Amino acid sequence: MTSHFLVLTVFALLVSTAFALLMRHDSKEQLRFGILAFVCFLGSAFFIGWLMYPFPS
Amino acid sequence: MRAKEETQARPATAGIPVAVSAWLVPGLGHLMLGRTRRALTFFVIVAGMFALGLYLHGELFPLNTSEPLTFLAGLAEIGVGLPFFAAKLLGMGSGEVTALTYEYGYTFCIVAGLLNMLIMLDAYDIAVGRKS
Repeated sequence: MTSHFLVLTVFALLVSTAFALLMRHDSKEQLRFGILAFVCFLGSAFFIGWLMYPFPS
Repeated sequence: MRAKEETQARPATAGIPVAVSAWLVPGLGHLMLGRTRRALTFFVIVAGMFALGLYLHGELFPLNTSEPLTFLAGLAEIGVGLPFFAAKLLGMGSGEVTALTYEYGYTFCIVAGLLNMLIMLDAYDIAVGRKS
């Protein structure tokens, strides 16, 4: 498993599921919160990735 | 508010056995409180993240007080509970610094430990009646 994106996605999925279960009680709210957290994780990774794009590796 | 009304406050010591169990085995605290589905999910998440971290060549850091960041990372990883000690006994988690996924590996191990600490606090709060 050397794909950075795959590792990032698995990480985001696991952490957002745990947060959703800890912070919300209702199943519907858990699903909504979990999806929102997951999208925020991936979105912020893309955003930071684009910010770093001009810099040499 | 309604959830607060429904919960019954119990002495703080009532939650200690639940908290210790929750720390030792991820999800066990919630299982003791009768929340089977939640307990199983927490176990899969924490144990899965920790195992994945080791698979990605992550390192189990020692509690070295001369290096504060290493000490904190080690402390966070101990949060996983028994799986951490089992992995140490089996000689896992030596960490392969040259591996492409080394940083991902230890991040997974650290976050698994921190998540288990949050899960432990959640179980404690439910046990003492602070949370429904």
